[in-house]
Amino acid sequence: MNNLSLLMDGFATILTWNHLLIMVIGVMLGMLVGVLPGLGAPNGVSLLLPLTFTMDPVSAIILLSCMYWGALFGGSTTSILFNIPGEPSSVATTFDGYPMARNGEATRALTLAFMSAGLGALAGVVMITLLASSVAQFGLRFSSPEYFAVYFLAFCSFIGMSSSAPSKTLVSMMLGLAFATVGMDSVSGGLRLTFGIPDLVKGISFLVAVMGLFGIAELMVTTEEGLSFNGIKSRIRVRDILRTMAELPRYWASLIRSILIGIWMGITPAGPTAASFMSHGIAKRFSRHPERFGKGEPNGIVSPEAADHSAGTSALLPMLALGVPGSATAAVMMGGLMIWGLTPGPMLFITRPDFVWGLVASMYLGNVVAVILVLSTVPLYASILRVPFAIIGPVIVAVIFTGVYQVANSTFDFWLLLFFALLGYLFKKLDYPVAPLVLTMVLGHRAEEAFRQSMVMSDGSLTVFWSNSLVTTIMGLGVLMLVWPLFSRMLGLRGWRRRLHRQQPQASKPATPDSRP
Amino acid sequence: MTHNGISRYSMEIATALLTGGIGLAICYGAWQVGTGWTPSGPDSGYFPFWIGVLIVAGSVVNLLRTIVGHRHKDEIFLDAARLKSLARFVLPILGFAVVSLLLGLYVGTTLYVLFAMRLQGHYAWWRSLASGVAISVCFYLLFELVFQVPLLKGPLEHAFGIY
Repeated sequence: MNNLSLLMDGFATILTWNHLLIMVIGVMLGMLVGVLPGLGAPNGVSLLLPLTFTMDPVSAIILLSCMYWGALFGGSTTSILFNIPGEPSSVATTFDGYPMARNGEATRALTLAFMSAGLGALAGVVMITLLASSVAQFGLRFSSPEYFAVYFLAFCSFIGMSSSAPSKTLVSMMLGLAFATVGMDSVSGGLRLTFGIPDLVKGISFLVAVMGLFGIAELMVTTEEGLSFNGIKSRIRVRDILRTMAELPRYWASLIRSILIGIWMGITPAGPTAASFMSHGIAKRFSRHPERFGKGEPNGIVSPEAADHSAGTSALLPMLALGVPGSATAAVMMGGLMIWGLTPGPMLFITRPDFVWGLVASMYLGNVVAVILVLSTVPLYASILRVPFAIIGPVIVAVIFTGVYQVANSTFDFWLLLFFALLGYLFKKLDYPVAPLVLTMVLGHRAEEAFRQSMVMSDGSLTVFWSNSLVTTIMGLGVLMLVWPLFSRMLGLRGWRRRLHRQQPQASKPATPDSRP
Repeated sequence: MTHNGISRYSMEIATALLTGGIGLAICYGAWQVGTGWTPSGPDSGYFPFWIGVLIVAGSVVNLLRTIVGHRHKDEIFLDAARLKSLARFVLPILGFAVVSLLLGLYVGTTLYVLFAMRLQGHYAWWRSLASGVAISVCFYLLFELVFQVPLLKGPLEHAFGIY
């Protein structure tokens, strides 16, 4: 009941015209970055973050989180109408969403996607409302060794859950940690790893990394594929929307299953992309008509969408309550929190309850606003994709460059941006995961501090990480995650992951001309 | 280089060498500041040093997996046609970075949009130029006036007295 009254306080904080306007702006901007190729949620949030430095944290987080919802919806829109996933996590929506739209049922496909996505997100927020305080309470028992153990668990689950080769995930993750250590050492105050370059003294900003890895690199891959958009013209009719809404309860089983998958994958750092693929795969396996999948099966739209959005929302729970983000976008937002002078983690619930519960309340409202806005503005956003890529591409690049300059007013960051673009391009084409690099870059300082404080506590003995039942359990879980691929291979559970691996490279490319009608 | 493009095999090796190189650089940098134990706990280089070691280890595994496992031998990473469209996209970006350093972001943006549209979309000069100028003006209005965050300016803006 306490959570409920706190939530009501949260609603009281955010129910102002000012905040509602910010919500609408956030959702609209989010849909824009979700629709545009090469600009995804992590990138959009990074671009917007420098503009929020002077805002009050509650308004700032509403803007950024609503942008996140908008981007998730925008990604589904292009998946359905253009067969081009605007976000990696909406790849699985193309499997059945595009065929249904091609069959002349674009409105039905969009409504199914948005409604199940909205329900998924709401379920995620309800989960956060119910669990946040208890998780934060639990988190208060943590000291440095436990915190390091939690980071260790997050890192290990990346290696265990990733569809890439474990050694590639390891390299990507450790590079993020290494980049985070460049510059001033926050413990001793000395400089390190600057190699005599004065511009490296301020460190390498994760924002620059995100814009290079997710922005320019994504555009490079897109250009190489030679994009030509071939969208489905859609007129959204209110009657079709209502008829589809009445149809939705029929898919309750898929909805519940997908939401559970999404919440689980969102809390653990597997993330929305894996959740949507897994959900689509399982829906197909459990279906009585698996042959209908890929041809516009409603369950094939409902499942990935509900899982995608519930995972996207749930990813904010560990970020808020423990300071461990569950997705790349959550990581960028957590970086924002630290820039605004807030420390994510259990103490935030005590020091800034208005911020925490304002955010939770804005998630309820933001998702409702997003569903309404997205349904009413789909044709507008779809028309953006009809602008040729030769115009949109350069504009996106110019926006990214101005964004990078705003991070620290440093021109050296241009070169860092190009370096990260090259790295991201190589990683994407060679199946290295990119998200772990961003997550560890944001977490790097905290992970290192936790490690060094633990070492001070134990006088340099690593046994501190096995010293009590709590830390031992978390470390044990981490080790379990690390060896999980071996186990699951033995148990024959690797099917979905292999399928994901097989489907992703084809599906992330825009449809080849021969697959079009 | 095979006859029809760059093979994925060679790019896997190159990337493993690149990440391994970064790992070695991290180890070296960490070793410079000290990787041992000080009265106030681990030295500043301790944590990065072991991170560097893990990067090198992972890179070596990636390298060996590729070479010993003969993985991706027949896959093409980039063929000539794709390389060409990629170059058309990337070279203007490099130019953008250099020009922006010298002349500021506004001039850089105008010229970049102009050349990128010419190169990638084969638009007419006047159209490309108009788009470039329009986008710069939009940036000015949005960033300098609405958000009040100054962008990098060069000699041209100074000549006009815009700060």
